[in-house]
Amino acid sequence: MSASQSAVRSRAEAVQVSRTFDWMILFTVFTAVLGGYHIHYMLTGGDWDFWTDWKDRRLWVTVAPIVSITFPAAVQACLWYRYRLPFGAVVSVLALMLGEWINRYLNFWGWTYFPVNFCFPSNLIPGAIVLDVVLMLSSSLTATAVIGGLAYGLLFYPGNWPIIAPLHVPVEYNGMMMTLADLQGYHYVRTGTPEYIRMVEKGTLRTFGKDVAPVSAFFSGFVSIIIYFLWHFFGRWFSKTDFVDSSNV
Amino acid sequence: MKIIKDKVAKLSFVALLMSLTAAMFYTPTASAHGEKSQAAFMRMRTIHWFDLNWSKDTVAVNDTMTISGKFHVFAGWPETVDKPEVSFLNIGIPGPVFIRAGSWIGGQLVPRSVSLELGETYEFKVLLKARRPGDWHVHTMMNVQGGGPIIGPGKWVTVTGSMGSFVNNITTLTGETINLETYNLSNIYFWHAFWYALGLAWLAFWVKRPLFVPRHIAVSSGKADTLISAADKKVALGFAVATIAIVAGSMGTTNEKFPVTTPLQAGLLRGMQPIQMPESTVSVKVDDASYRVPGRAMQMTLTVTNNGDSAVRLGEFNTAGVRFLDPAVLQDETAYPDDLLAEEGLTVSDNSPLAPGETRTVEITASDAAWEVYRLADLIYDPDSRFAGLLFFFDAEGNRQMVMIDAPLIPSFI
Repeated sequence: MSASQSAVRSRAEAVQVSRTFDWMILFTVFTAVLGGYHIHYMLTGGDWDFWTDWKDRRLWVTVAPIVSITFPAAVQACLWYRYRLPFGAVVSVLALMLGEWINRYLNFWGWTYFPVNFCFPSNLIPGAIVLDVVLMLSSSLTATAVIGGLAYGLLFYPGNWPIIAPLHVPVEYNGMMMTLADLQGYHYVRTGTPEYIRMVEKGTLRTFGKDVAPVSAFFSGFVSIIIYFLWHFFGRWFSKTDFVDSSNV
Repeated sequence: MKIIKDKVAKLSFVALLMSLTAAMFYTPTASAHGEKSQAAFMRMRTIHWFDLNWSKDTVAVNDTMTISGKFHVFAGWPETVDKPEVSFLNIGIPGPVFIRAGSWIGGQLVPRSVSLELGETYEFKVLLKARRPGDWHVHTMMNVQGGGPIIGPGKWVTVTGSMGSFVNNITTLTGETINLETYNLSNIYFWHAFWYALGLAWLAFWVKRPLFVPRHIAVSSGKADTLISAADKKVALGFAVATIAIVAGSMGTTNEKFPVTTPLQAGLLRGMQPIQMPESTVSVKVDDASYRVPGRAMQMTLTVTNNGDSAVRLGEFNTAGVRFLDPAVLQDETAYPDDLLAEEGLTVSDNSPLAPGETRTVEITASDAAWEVYRLADLIYDPDSRFAGLLFFFDAEGNRQMVMIDAPLIPSFI
């Protein structure tokens, strides 16, 4: 067979090869995103995602969507503009969450025995589904950034509330009131994570009283819009094809 | 000759492979927490732990033990370390092998960070409940914001039993008693599995059709719009509406199920009550101090004045948790960790009772392998080559006086 001949001899064979490519590429994308996104999210979201006593109504709500909309935006840019596939956000978040669960279960629990109910990851899937759907229905970068990015930030806290609410039940402990999540942080000793490192309930949103989570979520949504644009262009740049003049090779 | 060379090369290669394989299977127990690698001046010139007591050497799972004692916050706190204005009384253990059931400074519970005053001495207690069987090195520890963890003395404690039997029952303010080890786990698994399944369903909806090659050809040939059908859009809309509805609905039902929730509690605790140590009537001036590297000994020349009304003798020099004792004056009865105790490590040129009103210049030698083992000799490589420590003087009735000393340290290499 010469280089100019096709590697397949029939349409059926071409379809089969194409499907094989599909699974290979999907597997590669999934695992590559799992690794890259996981490292990125651990470095930027880190403790907010690791521990229940960091999952507050101000900073966790603000930080987690902003730093996690990154890879979904970039992967969406690649899959949508080159293949018209609207699952970039979901596939990224599914990869991240699989990596996170493996890490939390095998490392946090399996090696160091932190209870899983103390170190489970945040849920990012509702925002990712809406982000993909907005891109697909609008086919517009601007609409996806503005509507999808905002929705991504807004859906984060309510999407996690059913999971964390039981840990916000108050308890009286040796004369002080704290939540069960605070108590977990106190009980399960983290030598390298002293209490003062915790960045929770800091800020100046005091005029909103106890209803500060929606304000934080809106702020997070606004910043997510900007981050979406930025990472969208990273994705576009990363997935572009460049041809090199053979005479220069 | 060539055959021999080849054989040697082959055997060498096999030996290398076997060594590498053996190295992979060699996994010795990691039993320290880096306490010896922490800069010596940090341990000698920040927090001085003393009168420490580990209530038990062996404890069964679910049983408790305490670590209690005092710590002095050194007034000459080094400039290179942030002051302990935001600190946290921690415990140095390899993960949650115990749970911290309580910790107190000056009788106040300290689940949060505290502000400490330089020059003050505080009483502390940490209550630990055994969780995971094994032999654990249990250290006192103070984390200081901007300074890092300042680890104190550690002692081996054995936990017996089975972790499977560990329970951590808590009664909430809503009257429910729960086991914090497993509380909320099924709820966490359920919601994560549910949302993951929904995400997979969205992915499966697209993955079931040909993906990359044919779609790339279509997009490249300007037929991108044909790749998304009206039915696809309806399904997508359904996913979005269902997602938003489930989020809103589950939030509503959660609020009904848990009507009383509070935000995370945070904030600095100020006003820790120090203990009033008896005013020392002994004054000490450090004339010079040197560390003799070959002899693993620190030598000091001190001018000591007794301004009290009873004669005193020097019984102990304590620095970085290492206790150098003069056995003629003081013997340890607290089962202090052996590796940190130099029972005969303190030599005083003239340790006869110092009479009231008397001033005497004495040569003091604190020698023990602990200088090397605990890498305190590395002080000479630190950015602030000064030492500090506590001197304890005793009168005939056993009354104790604590004097803080702080001076430059000159190394001697010969």
